[in-house]
Amino acid sequence: MMKDPLLKIRGLKTYFYTDEGVVKAVDNVDLDIYKGETLGLVGESGCGKSTMALSIMKLIQKPGRIIDGEIFFSETDILKLKDNEVRNIRGGLISMIFQDPLSSLNPVYTIGNQISEAVEIHQKTSDKKEVKDIVLKSMKEVGIPDTELRYSDYPFQFSGGMRQRVMIAMALSCQPQLLIADEPTTSLDVTIQAQILDLMNSLRKIFDTSILLITHNLGIVAEIADKVAVMYAGKVIEYGDSITIFKNYLHPYTKALMGSIPRVDLKQDKLEMIPGTVPSLTNPPPGCRFWPRCKYATEECKEVEPPLIEVEPGHKAACIRYDKINFEEHSE
Amino acid sequence: MGLFIVLGIVFVAIFCPYLAPYDPDRQFWGDEWAPPSSKFIFGTDDLGRDVYSRVLWGARTSIMVGLVSVSIIAFLGTFIGSIAGYFGGVVDQVIMRITDIILTIPTLILLLLISSVLRTRNLFIIMSVIGLLGWPSMARIVRSQYLSFKEFNFVEAAKTIGTSDIKIIFKHILPNALSPIIVVSTLRIATSILTEASLSFLGFGDPTAITWGLMLHRGHIAVRTAPWVAIIPGLAIFITVIGFNLLGDALRDALDVRL
Repeated sequence: MMKDPLLKIRGLKTYFYTDEGVVKAVDNVDLDIYKGETLGLVGESGCGKSTMALSIMKLIQKPGRIIDGEIFFSETDILKLKDNEVRNIRGGLISMIFQDPLSSLNPVYTIGNQISEAVEIHQKTSDKKEVKDIVLKSMKEVGIPDTELRYSDYPFQFSGGMRQRVMIAMALSCQPQLLIADEPTTSLDVTIQAQILDLMNSLRKIFDTSILLITHNLGIVAEIADKVAVMYAGKVIEYGDSITIFKNYLHPYTKALMGSIPRVDLKQDKLEMIPGTVPSLTNPPPGCRFWPRCKYATEECKEVEPPLIEVEPGHKAACIRYDKINFEEHSE
Repeated sequence: MGLFIVLGIVFVAIFCPYLAPYDPDRQFWGDEWAPPSSKFIFGTDDLGRDVYSRVLWGARTSIMVGLVSVSIIAFLGTFIGSIAGYFGGVVDQVIMRITDIILTIPTLILLLLISSVLRTRNLFIIMSVIGLLGWPSMARIVRSQYLSFKEFNFVEAAKTIGTSDIKIIFKHILPNALSPIIVVSTLRIATSILTEASLSFLGFGDPTAITWGLMLHRGHIAVRTAPWVAIIPGLAIFITVIGFNLLGDALRDALDVRL
């Protein structure tokens, strides 16, 4: 049953060398994404989610550097490829869409022009007619009405949701095997969010594309992700399929995250808050990185860095006390 | 306003052979230092040449000097500035230090030196030197544009679809950075024309070319007895420079560029 993963990240370390010290934005992360599945990567702001995404595209900017690790994308290690070889992967095999569709499009070119660029780079066809057909087809697929007319419109003539559709059309025009979506719906309003998520979901089924969905919105994850990886302070602390994570979470941080979602089916006066803030990644606390904010922490937690262990098949957690904590007795 | 002046001068520069009543180099023997009259609207100079015709032809030289040198400035400045701004880091440091060095060379003094050493005073050399020394300020402005534009999401988005650096620099960022380049170019045309005029006035210009600076130079010795010979080309320089400056300012306001 276990196929080889489409994307296999092993021991990835991406550090930023700043004047204040080394920021370990991604520290020794292992992650697998299988063909056709959606992996939700969740975590607070600044925990290294976006750095992960950019590392996969090998687009880390100075002063950041990927100092160690391997990223296998169906057999090839992206990190060992030369720049021009990576460019063939970007857009062709792995595409990315961003949080802010408003500024992700170049204001001086028409929509059609910009989608065409992706097609021209990767489809190796210079036939104008053929390119335009592909562009119109992918615009139609993402649900942009009047494609012929909209083809020659400029980005400012599009609404936010439509621009995100354009970004998705651009990302999917070359039928990538992996789509990285970095908070694709954060800047859109809720009804549009649902539409965009539906769209991504149905396109995934049509093209059998894997999706790495980066978000801090657990609702979105619950809606479309098959697997979930929870990141905290540069590390993956829990990983499993989404039902397991939502029902049988083991890590106190995951529990705390779940507790901070407002729910309509429970009467809550106050949302549970995670005390404190994300630790500085320049100088993370020793031992488990979550202990200063964890109400189950013991002395041992402050000394031993917990490994990510497989608790049950397909479910990994990085907490040394996972089997000793009983969340129930603490919950209200 | 500036646009009208500039269009007028460009019109004169293109059609001067038809507008000028006489060949600008034709000498009317016996009519040296002739005052303005119906025959010579602006009088004649020390060699009996029609000042009116020469002023019209001078527009052609001035416009040519302005356009050629500014083309060099715009091309080099944009190219060098965009490379420095886009790549940043060591590349940026090296390029900007070279830029600083070139910025310290005074154009007029170097031109004086070149014309006295080479002994050939050629308009082409003058235009090239003005252009080759003028790009640093343009490069700085273009660099600053690239520094801010490269942080925009659409640049990163372009990278994620596999666009090459060269294509991002010239296809994606350049059109966005175009307005300040246009504004600065327009203003630089005025300064280039002025530099060439100063050089010619000092007697180091191209002696075979018909330029306003050279006319001023020939006229200044007789400014009391035959003021028209100096005043007319002086006015022409004044109006042209004002025209380009007004146009540049208007463009800056219209394109909303902060320099």
